[in-house]
Amino acid sequence: MNFQPTYQHFGENGVLINWPSKIDPQINDEVLRLDILITKTFGDRIIELVPSYQSLAVYLKEVESVSNFIELLKELPISEDRRYEKVSRLITIPVCYDPKYGLDIEELALANKITTKKVIQLHTKEIYKVYFLGFLPGFPYLGGLNESLYTPRKNKPRKHITEGSVAIGGEQTGIYTIDSPGGWNVIGRSPLAFFSCESSLRCLLKPGDFVRFSSIDETEFKKIEAEVANDTFQVGKEVYHD
Amino acid sequence: MIEVLSRGLYTSIQDLGRFGFRRNGVPLSGVMDRYSAILANRLVGNSEQEAVLEITHIGPVLHFKSTTEIAITGAGFTPTLNDLKVPLNTRTYVPENSILKFGHPSYGLRAYLSVSGGFISEKKLGSYSQYSGITQKETIEKGDLLSLSPSEGIPLKITASVKVPRRHFSSESIEVFAGPDYHLLPKEIQKNISEAKVTVTSQSNRMGYLLAGWEGLSAKGIITAPVQPGTVQLTPSGQCVVLMRDAQTTGGYARVFQLTEKAVNIMSQKRAGASLHFKLVDQPK
Repeated sequence: MNFQPTYQHFGENGVLINWPSKIDPQINDEVLRLDILITKTFGDRIIELVPSYQSLAVYLKEVESVSNFIELLKELPISEDRRYEKVSRLITIPVCYDPKYGLDIEELALANKITTKKVIQLHTKEIYKVYFLGFLPGFPYLGGLNESLYTPRKNKPRKHITEGSVAIGGEQTGIYTIDSPGGWNVIGRSPLAFFSCESSLRCLLKPGDFVRFSSIDETEFKKIEAEVANDTFQVGKEVYHD
Repeated sequence: MIEVLSRGLYTSIQDLGRFGFRRNGVPLSGVMDRYSAILANRLVGNSEQEAVLEITHIGPVLHFKSTTEIAITGAGFTPTLNDLKVPLNTRTYVPENSILKFGHPSYGLRAYLSVSGGFISEKKLGSYSQYSGITQKETIEKGDLLSLSPSEGIPLKITASVKVPRRHFSSESIEVFAGPDYHLLPKEIQKNISEAKVTVTSQSNRMGYLLAGWEGLSAKGIITAPVQPGTVQLTPSGQCVVLMRDAQTTGGYARVFQLTEKAVNIMSQKRAGASLHFKLVDQPK
C-alpha cells in the first residue's frame, strides 16, 4: 500500500501532515514513524509534534519559514525508514468491573442485550492499540473495541468522572486519566496512575503502545491502589510484535 | 508578597504557556492576549516569559505587602492604587501596604498585571500557567498570598509608557488562514466570508469562544486530529467555535479556519455580544 502523505500549512508556525482519511493501525504506524524521524532529524527546529490517527502536526519555532520546512519534510527518506522493525510495548491494565466503579456497566449490558459478565469478557479479550493521546492529559485513543460493545455516549454527560475510570463512547473505549467531566459509559475503574506531573511528567501510555485489560475484584483493586500510592506496584509490560 | 482580598471574576496566573507536552494531551495554556501581556512585562523590565496576572472583566482587589513596580495593560479598566488613579500601559511604583483595585473595563475584556521580577507560583511542566488538572489551582482565590520574584533592585529612573492602538480592542475583522478542512466550509460562506457576520456568545472562556450567526450551516465531522489555539471549528449541528489558549490538543470537528497569532490576541479581548467577521488572508511564507 502506498501511504505517501500530503503537507499543508497549519497556522503561522505549523505544518500538518495528512495520510488517507481513515482509522487504520498501519496508517497510524506511518504517522508514528514519521513523528520519530522528524524529531531525530529536525529536533532543534521544532517546538513539538502532535500525532493523531492519520495526521501529524509539527509546531515549528518562530524563526522557521513554514514553506521552506515543508520542502525539507518532502525530502525525508520515509520509505527507507520503513525497513526498521517495529517493536511495541504491551501493557496490562487491571480493571475492577464491579458496578460500584463501573457505574454504567449494567445499563450498557442491558442496552446491548448481553450479560455484564459477557461485557467483561469481550472487553478483556481484545488487544487495543494506543493511536495517540489527546482530549485530557494522558488520555489514550484506543482502537480495537469489539463491535458488540459499541454504545452511544450518554445523553447527559457526568460533571465528574473519577480518574482511572474505564469507559465506552460510541465505537471507542478509553480511560479517564484525570478527574474530568465526561459523556462516556463508565464500565470499570483501574487503580493505576496514568498521568501525573508532580515533579516531572509521568505518562503511563504512549502512542504506539498496545494495552489489554484484566479483570480484578475489589480486594485486588484496593491492594494495587495502595501499592501504586507507595510507588511499589510493577505495571505489567512486555514486548509485543503485532 | 501580595495578598488577594478579592479574586474578581476569573483571575489566573499565566505565562506564555506550557510548551512541549501537547503530544501528551496537555493544553498549551498561557496568556490569552500575548500582545498585552508581553507589553506589561516589557514595561517593568521583565523578560516576556515572566508570569503575569490575567484579569477578566471584574478585577481583583490586591494588597501589596512589599514595595515593587507594576504595569497594567490590556482592557480599559480604571485601576486605583490607594484610591489614586493608575495610568494604563505605564510603569508605576507601588509602596508597601498599598491596595490595588481594578473596577470594570470600559472596553476590552482582559487586563494584565506585571510586577517587577514576575510572579512566582506553582510551576508545573516548565510553566506557571494555571490550568485545572495540571496545577492545583485554576485561578487565584481570596486569601492567597502571591510571591514575587526578588526584583533586580534599583527602580528604573526613566518613565516607561506606551500608547496602544485602539484597533486592538475595537477591530471587528478577525484575520484567518484557510484551515486544514476549509473545503468543508459551506460554499455560501466561502463565496463571501466577510459578509458572514458572527456574534460572541456568553459561552466563551479560555478554552474557546462559541459564536452565533451561522445557524443552519454545518460541516461534517472529521477523524479526530490536531487542533491549536486559533482553530475555528464548525460542527455538524452548526456551532462555530474558536479554540483559545486552553484548548484541547486534538478535536473531531472540521477546522475551517486558523486565526493569525495577532487575531487570537484581538479575539481574547472580545466580550459576549461583540460582532465580528472573518477575513481570509494568504498562508504565511
